[in-house]
Amino acid sequence: MIRSSEELRELSSKFSFPVVLKAQVPVGGRKKAGGITIAQNQNDVEAGVKSLLGMMIRGCIARKILLEEYLNIEREAYLGVSIDTSKGTPLILTSSEGGVDIEEIARIHPEKVVAKTVDIASGLSEDIAAELARRVELEDIPLKKVVDTVKRLYEIFLKYDALLVEANPLVMTTNRRLCAVGVAMTIDDDALHRYPDIACSDEVRIEDEIERDARKEDIAYVRLDGEVGIVASGAGLALATVDLVKEYGGDPANFLDTGGQITQQRIRACMEIVLTNKRVRGLVINMYGGINPMVEAARGVASFVREKQLRMPVVVKVRGNQEEEAWRILEEAGVTVVKSIRTEIAIQTLMELMRK
Amino acid sequence: MTILADENSGVVVQGITGTIGSVQTKLMLEYGTRIVAGVTPGKGGQSIYEIPVYDTVKEALLEHEAEASILFVPASRVLDAAGEAIDAGIGMLVIVSEHVPVHDTLRVKALAQKQRVTVLGPNTPGIISPGKTKIGIMPGNLYRPGNVGIVSRSATLAYEIAGNLTEAGIGQSTCAGIGGDPVTGVTFVDLLKLFEKDDETSIVVLIGEVGRTVEEEAADYIENEFLKPVVAYVVGRTAPPEKKMGHAGAIIERGRGTAESKIEAFRHAGVSVISRPSQVISCVREAFRERR
Repeated sequence: MIRSSEELRELSSKFSFPVVLKAQVPVGGRKKAGGITIAQNQNDVEAGVKSLLGMMIRGCIARKILLEEYLNIEREAYLGVSIDTSKGTPLILTSSEGGVDIEEIARIHPEKVVAKTVDIASGLSEDIAAELARRVELEDIPLKKVVDTVKRLYEIFLKYDALLVEANPLVMTTNRRLCAVGVAMTIDDDALHRYPDIACSDEVRIEDEIERDARKEDIAYVRLDGEVGIVASGAGLALATVDLVKEYGGDPANFLDTGGQITQQRIRACMEIVLTNKRVRGLVINMYGGINPMVEAARGVASFVREKQLRMPVVVKVRGNQEEEAWRILEEAGVTVVKSIRTEIAIQTLMELMRK
Repeated sequence: MTILADENSGVVVQGITGTIGSVQTKLMLEYGTRIVAGVTPGKGGQSIYEIPVYDTVKEALLEHEAEASILFVPASRVLDAAGEAIDAGIGMLVIVSEHVPVHDTLRVKALAQKQRVTVLGPNTPGIISPGKTKIGIMPGNLYRPGNVGIVSRSATLAYEIAGNLTEAGIGQSTCAGIGGDPVTGVTFVDLLKLFEKDDETSIVVLIGEVGRTVEEEAADYIENEFLKPVVAYVVGRTAPPEKKMGHAGAIIERGRGTAESKIEAFRHAGVSVISRPSQVISCVREAFRERR
């Protein structure tokens, strides 16, 4: 694994040609986007590393290149462990065909894909592992080897709280070796604290600067292209607010979910994050007092508006527990308050103010 | 009868002495919920709002009868706390905690299925049968008794829909959140099955969002087996697609999971689909008229 052309030079004598160069990005569809090249000689490697480092692949920048042995591949299969989110169980998928077109194959030839749920309490049974392995259909590889690979992938899935562990392709080489050539893995963000040694820093995995700042505060934020800033208490409500801004002819600047533990400090951080995006020309804050204390939220909004002397229109809709006390605090601070239950009215009010 | 819980249901609060647990206990008591005991390991023997606190659910159930437990414990404690409640014989768990690791939820779900325990959540607002009981965190003032059932993934968006109905004079039978996490205990289909049998529920409003495939499965069930009218609201129509590693997600979802796919599935099942929360009022009124 190298991070620069200098690191490549230090490495030069240690590999033989041809060699495969793979851009490291946390997103699928890398090969189709040109993130993998094959180098026949030293010049190829240098040129390849140069073009791949810093390459933008589906919104992610490649900061590392993996140099791998070139394999003569005879067959490509697929093996993945993920979660059946409806049944709430681990799910192991295999296919006798794999590679870059696996999604296409699964769509056109669903019979080639075998999916088996696993009871997380009793574990992966020998029978199921064997059936999955058989359906990989790499007959020239001893079945036990494939079974062991299925089991090992499932163990890794459990050991690291993974949402996904995938070998695509799982290949048989011309000299009958079994290799997991492309391996992708996703670890649950909510379990990442259990694996401090393998968690990569936010700098590496989040490209957008504002999204990175939000992540530090544990605030769910996604930057969009428009100018209407949004703060909402809850992911569903935030999605609805984004949809409605569009529906009323506006252009949302972001998605933001405050999460369930609003404090004065937290709501101020939310507003700060939204306003870091200089395109924002108006802000709608949409909140319900269920688990979140609205008096705290209102105090945070009021102090932020006062201190920053915000010139742009800010409209706050608050309902639920403590609503009247919250309205009073906001009104005293000169904030536009919408007392209706309807998010539609909050958005219309903001859009009108923004037109002025 | 309403579904899952009524005014007679005894409730245990796990994590009752925490900041959120104690505030929400007070709000539930004010609503009329029959809270019989609280549990916080190491705080046994204390009491809070005159509710006795025990070290374990088992000890609480030696002294009190309870059908349900609501959890306000930290995410990292959910698996243990839920397991403890299931072992002690609780029939329904309401897991309010956010940021529970998905694998822990998978394990809770496996335990619950074995013991036939109903699990709402994680990341759920819980359940309210207006005028009867509230085992959850929703603001009671936005609800009133009536005949509309509500099921939702999101908490606060469900408040908005309920609030719209309440202000229009339309009450609710039971409103339940399955939870906002990628994996949850019950799903929409489980709750629809209960609403189908519930005399007090005439119409169901379903609130879905982009991601997962529980809406598409609900649409399938509605088309084939559910006889009551359904109004659906799906949000995330303008959300940019999530960046994902690997291909397993796409293979499993087969094009489902987007807001468009859910809306299409509901329309196909004859469900009226709304695009703004306030439209729920006219759609529900129309459904009531057609029923008569």
